[in-house]
Amino acid sequence: MANNYKDNEFDVIIVGGGITGAGTARDCAMRGLKVLLIERHDIATGATGRNHGLLHSGARYAVTDKESATECIEENMILRRIARHCVDETEGFFITLPEDDLDYQKKFVESCLAAGISAEVIDPKDAIRMEPSVNPDLIGAVKVPDGSVDPFRLCAANMLDAKLHGAKILVYTEVTSFIKEGDTVRGVKVVDTKTGQEAEYYAPVTVNAAGIWGHGIAAMAGANIGMFPAKGALLIFAHRVNSIVINRCRKPANADILVPGDTVCVIGTTSTKVPFEECDNMHVTPDEVDLLLTEGAKLAPSLASTRILRAYAGVRPLVSADNDPSGRNISRGIVCLDHETRDGIKGFVSITGGKLMTYRLMAEQATDVVCRKLGIDRSCETAVIPLPGSEGGKTEEVSKKIWAAPTTAQKASAGRAGTRARGISFDNSVDAALVCECEEVSVGEVKSAIENLEVHNLVDLRRRTRVGMGTCQGELCACRAAGLLGKAHGCTERAEKDLRSFMNERWKGMYPIAWGNTLREADYTQWVYNQVLGFNVEE
Amino acid sequence: MKFDTVIIGGGLAGLTAGLRLQQKGKSVAIVSAGQNALHFSSGTFGVLNEGAEIPENHPYMKLNLEGYLAEVIPFFASAGVVLKGNPLKNSWRITPMGKRQEARFFMEDADPLEGKDTLIGKKALVVSFPGFLDFNTSFLAASLEKSGTAVRIELLALPEMDRLRENPSEMRSVNVARVMDRAWNKVVSEVKLLLKGEDVIVLPQVFGLKDSAIVSAIRESFDQKVLFVGTMPPSVPGMRTQMKLKQSFEAAGGTFLMGDEVLSAEISSERVVSVKTRNLGDHALEADAFILASGSYFSKGLSATTEEVFEPLFGLDVNFSEGRSSWYDADFYSAQPFNNFGVMTDEKFRALKEGKPVLNLYAAGSVLGGADALRLGCGAGVAILSGLAVADAIAPESK
Repeated sequence: MANNYKDNEFDVIIVGGGITGAGTARDCAMRGLKVLLIERHDIATGATGRNHGLLHSGARYAVTDKESATECIEENMILRRIARHCVDETEGFFITLPEDDLDYQKKFVESCLAAGISAEVIDPKDAIRMEPSVNPDLIGAVKVPDGSVDPFRLCAANMLDAKLHGAKILVYTEVTSFIKEGDTVRGVKVVDTKTGQEAEYYAPVTVNAAGIWGHGIAAMAGANIGMFPAKGALLIFAHRVNSIVINRCRKPANADILVPGDTVCVIGTTSTKVPFEECDNMHVTPDEVDLLLTEGAKLAPSLASTRILRAYAGVRPLVSADNDPSGRNISRGIVCLDHETRDGIKGFVSITGGKLMTYRLMAEQATDVVCRKLGIDRSCETAVIPLPGSEGGKTEEVSKKIWAAPTTAQKASAGRAGTRARGISFDNSVDAALVCECEEVSVGEVKSAIENLEVHNLVDLRRRTRVGMGTCQGELCACRAAGLLGKAHGCTERAEKDLRSFMNERWKGMYPIAWGNTLREADYTQWVYNQVLGFNVEE
Repeated sequence: MKFDTVIIGGGLAGLTAGLRLQQKGKSVAIVSAGQNALHFSSGTFGVLNEGAEIPENHPYMKLNLEGYLAEVIPFFASAGVVLKGNPLKNSWRITPMGKRQEARFFMEDADPLEGKDTLIGKKALVVSFPGFLDFNTSFLAASLEKSGTAVRIELLALPEMDRLRENPSEMRSVNVARVMDRAWNKVVSEVKLLLKGEDVIVLPQVFGLKDSAIVSAIRESFDQKVLFVGTMPPSVPGMRTQMKLKQSFEAAGGTFLMGDEVLSAEISSERVVSVKTRNLGDHALEADAFILASGSYFSKGLSATTEEVFEPLFGLDVNFSEGRSSWYDADFYSAQPFNNFGVMTDEKFRALKEGKPVLNLYAAGSVLGGADALRLGCGAGVAILSGLAVADAIAPESK
């Protein structure tokens, strides 16, 4: 395809820059379509960047939802191959505590095996030896192939690959309306949220991949999807307390998963239905924090005395079955809607429900529908072709292949960028200098992200490089990075405004847990910004 | 071990009180856990923002504000620290982000500007070093240009700094200052070659870590005005000031227990009898009077659980509000109620415990409640003035 197109004409327009949209853009682009992806904010700002980062084995759903469990384990194995640099193969435990029913373990193991998930019963003593942070009172443990996955990295890698296959990505661009001819969607009207510039884009098919915001997008096109925003709150701890994922072996409940990721670990989640108006501005309440702490300490008692880095919350896009407007019959499975057959709206597809783990499968299903509509017969290759950065062998080996004797900063870079770290300059002392000491991010890596990964501001940069994600939560590195961004974009005024909002965004995750060491850090950060740097509220 | 006064905390408040008492002929021991706010100083001392009202429960309400302000410059001069500024009126400094911030007293390498918009010159040469990210020349230049000064930035590559660059995290102000102790005159000669008719030279505060004589020498080397601007923390002028105060305290006969921490205290009949420290173990420190100058949250003078804000050493009364959602504001830049919390005292700065004063325990500096240092710009002022006031309360007679 993609021959005699005007600049604003595409084969497919994808609305939403989360993992589902990114995956769909990659799949469509790999099948030869001319793709436009439109995202209102930055990539991975919704539920994609606001979850555990758990590489589900599917075991959690084995007893209650076999279909989801099977999808999970299949995608789990695929991601280990195609997204090596985003995945940490930690393994996972499902532990039984004295207050839990040990009989459930048997049913759990049987269900796992039936879904194709390996599940090995471990002696509690061995479990403690393998994972010393686990609650020593445990009476049972099952080992499953859980892991952790960096959703920001995964989303960025999908976006990058889509771009490498010719896709156009527009971030900070919001769909304001659909261009319709009768009952056919012909394209979208958009506005650049930074400049206010309006534009129109045309394509025979538009895919709604906007997560919970897909409810509004569908409504804009004239379709109704029964969605229920479910808020999930999580806490990040300042250390990697556990090296193996710890779950409770019982029916899924609040705060029963502890996931190690990079230098930290994450406990979650709660589950509360919230109104749509709240989806854009999630706050974690003191009650949610208390619940997460109490339940988390049951998985790993040392959490009670470990410093918490931040609190955050995401919104799951839960979809109710079409024949159940009450929302009681909620599915966590994939929902792929062809609005032509469902609502009589031609050229419009919604892909929703599902989870981070099954994004690739969701993308495949959506792309299949798009291709069918366009009359294209090309099979999906996203399960076999690695993402950019993951082409090399094991992640640990990558840095050694690029540099003879990699420094710790180079190892950290390779851990984040995979084989793409090759393109990061460490050639001179200025590029090798560290911007962020907590996460060991160098000037060269920041420059590379600004040049290649659509970085518009500090928050974007954090999602690409982990700048400001470490123990100090961006105290000093944010200023250094703001200097580099200011130079790259040639505008210090914008960089300063950006720095102000970056610190406010960091604070949003700190104030719900502002006691102990977090309050100490806040005391210091506020002193530095207010008294040393001169940032005041009056501006 | 017996002293006249034992001070818990070796920051600005503790050192001020200690030096004052030592100058009055008392024997004083200071127990200092380590870094303090001076290490993260702005190079200036704020007393009170222009137009700010002093709240009822503020420490200033318990002391002779104007009288003590007049004493600040001579007192620091007695410790070998040169301070500039009008004791009764704020001047302005340029921050590392190029903003203008008001302050009362200025360290030697901080330059008081008369007004918020005072022009620093017609043409400025801003000098930094390649890869020194903690001095943000582009922000500085942009704000100077905005105020009407033409700016040229030059980066000086000195071979003396190459060793710092070998380690990617070494390029920080203090490490640069250590190099500059040897290489400052080279900076002077190189900058002279770079000048193209500028009337003001802007340098980072990375000179004279041990002795401000280097700062004066640099100023004297140029016909042009030299303006020093702060870096990201740590602060070279702040660390130098801390060191000078400590040396003067010790020169006057004081005992400075560095890297030690008070772990417990014995209180009997409403008086502190002794304190025990980590390093001294069972050898208690006894004294007639004790000063708590242990700082705020950052220095662990105050701590918080999910339920309460407390003073961890003596369990003193703290003016915190109930329910932790009332401790903070969701906007990072707005007033944060937790900054107002601290130890409550009587009119003589004697700390309250269960509503009653501990008769020989005084509190000074940012451990005190009622002073939101960020909102009022009073952090250093509270430390210095309450330090002096507490010392005078303990030893009213002058030597």
